[in-house]
Amino acid sequence: MDWNFVSFVVMGIAASILSGTMITRRRPVSAAMILIAVMTLLAGMFGLLEAHFAAAAQIIVYAGAIMVVFVFVIMLLNLPPEELRYGGITLGEMILIAFGVVLAIALGTQVGQGLLTRGVESMGLAIGQTPEGARPLYFPPSENVKNVASSMFVDYLWAFELVSFLILAAVIGAIVIAKKRSTPNATAS
Amino acid sequence: MLQLPELGLYFSFLMFLVGLAGVMFRKNILFMMLSVEVLLNAANLAFVSASKITGTIDGQVVMFFVMAVAACEAAVGLALIIGLYRTKASIEADDLKALRG
Amino acid sequence: MDGSLGAVAQFLESNIGLVAAIGKIGLALVIALQVAPIMVWVERRQAAFIQRRIGPNRVGIFGFKLFGLGQPLADTIKLLFKEDFIPKQANKFFYVLAPIVTAVMGLVAIQGIPFAKDIVVAGHTINMQPVNLNAGFLYLFAMTALGVYGVALAGWSSNNKYALLGGLRASAQMISYEIAMGLALLPMVFIYGSLDLQTMIAAQSDELLFGFLPKWGIFLSPISFVIFVITMFAETNRLPFDLAEGEAELVAGFLVEYGSMRWSLFFLGEYAMMFTLSALTACVFLGGYEIPWLPQTELISMLTPYVTYEPATWIAALIGLGVLITKVAIFMFLFVQARFTLPRFRYDQLMRVGWVYLLPLALINVVVLALVVGIMRLT
Repeated sequence: MDWNFVSFVVMGIAASILSGTMITRRRPVSAAMILIAVMTLLAGMFGLLEAHFAAAAQIIVYAGAIMVVFVFVIMLLNLPPEELRYGGITLGEMILIAFGVVLAIALGTQVGQGLLTRGVESMGLAIGQTPEGARPLYFPPSENVKNVASSMFVDYLWAFELVSFLILAAVIGAIVIAKKRSTPNATAS
Repeated sequence: MLQLPELGLYFSFLMFLVGLAGVMFRKNILFMMLSVEVLLNAANLAFVSASKITGTIDGQVVMFFVMAVAACEAAVGLALIIGLYRTKASIEADDLKALRG
Repeated sequence: MDGSLGAVAQFLESNIGLVAAIGKIGLALVIALQVAPIMVWVERRQAAFIQRRIGPNRVGIFGFKLFGLGQPLADTIKLLFKEDFIPKQANKFFYVLAPIVTAVMGLVAIQGIPFAKDIVVAGHTINMQPVNLNAGFLYLFAMTALGVYGVALAGWSSNNKYALLGGLRASAQMISYEIAMGLALLPMVFIYGSLDLQTMIAAQSDELLFGFLPKWGIFLSPISFVIFVITMFAETNRLPFDLAEGEAELVAGFLVEYGSMRWSLFFLGEYAMMFTLSALTACVFLGGYEIPWLPQTELISMLTPYVTYEPATWIAALIGLGVLITKVAIFMFLFVQARFTLPRFRYDQLMRVGWVYLLPLALINVVVLALVVGIMRLT
């Protein structure tokens, strides 16, 4: 009984069903809480894929910081529950639903599973085998954090610095946009 | 034999479809942003699964950058929502038609 | 009888990983669940001694009144028999969920603490850390970060303006001090070269500093220790940072609509989080489960003349657990002492301390220690 496989399938199905539930909620707080649960499940899936740093970073950054900002905004602004749409289905919605049904049938049978494996093998890859020309790992695969850190600060250093500038720009932008305008005859908002 | 990373790619595709449906069918800007977060999470799952498939570490590094970009986008988007709510007291996308020609 | 016992033993041995995991998680849960009653008693007696009175000493079990140790039992029985209510206008689901989140996050975070060095059972080496990710103590940070939601949900779901304000202020405080907490621990990662707590503890009992001090984190980087202890107080909403649940200020803040066992679930989570963070401080800064000048390898070699190797590791593990609990007890004592000695911060002072004083100090600390460690590694 491969517990890893079973846990992964259970978490994946739960994450998909919960995210489907999330997009049909009326109250914003419920949707935000369900999304936090989805992110935690995703972190569990990352852990099962042996990406421990990604799992910890997912919970710390996504579920523990980004969603906190969402929850703060929802609670402070006291956003009302949304009235769900009623009326007919448009053409785009019908196409999307049909695509989803076809995809579910394809993935549920051997057809889809074989497609992906054949696709992966046609590129000369195999599951777990490093393609030629790819950067080798600096440390053994069990030292996940060291590998991520060495790759990020050696191969992707420019991207790292640019992303830090992006975060700085976003922080300044967010503060400037959300600040209260202090005009001479402004009323309290 | 179906292995974990392949399954991760399937689930990522499924969640991507769900997020796409959310962005298309909700008119509330906050819900659209929540659905965009689902889209980004699905992409992250795909990156980490691909990293496990090929045995390299680049997928996880890119996932980290995607997470940082998602944080920035969430911060700026929520600041815009706060500004919108302050001036118009409504965050439905249908009500934001002041620039419509 | 012999056959069935042998079969049980064989089953246990073949699934030793699963059995060991369940045993370690059970041990961590038992320890975490015992913290709250003991801390309730400690807090009331120590507060009394600080305030020059005696404190509860009347409650006894079967007439055995020793220092009022029966008081937590009486408190628990009283809380269990109180009326359990949900306010009429409150959001039922989140009202029930909020104390569960706080309590569960406290109990889950404690699973990342190493209790002793490896023990050897029937030839298998078992790492005495219930959750041993490659990301080390980031797991603890993750669970602490999720504990913010208990407070925010409690405030929002109570449908009460004071509760909402208190809840949002408390969660803003917690996420502000998380940054300084992470930055305070970053230099320790530089110094010990790993995120793994067992590696850090092993590196701390390696050699002696200046010949007589144990190579503890508190001597290698005292500023990190000070910053971490301050943020530890802020993360658990304890005085001097407890504006959110201070009774005189905001009518008990986010807890105002909670009574009986739900209220005590919050405190279970808070005390478990206090224990976890104190244990993390002990592991990173005070050498964890190792006795100061006596590494566990020496301890095992001292015990080996009397017992075989495997029971020696078990005895050393028990001693290690006792040492860890002693060091945690020092910090819990410090928590209670600070609560009844220091005045409370006002909210804007609190946020200023977190963002304007602690964050730049932690950043400068990171830069300075990175330079020092880099130069020392190069030479």
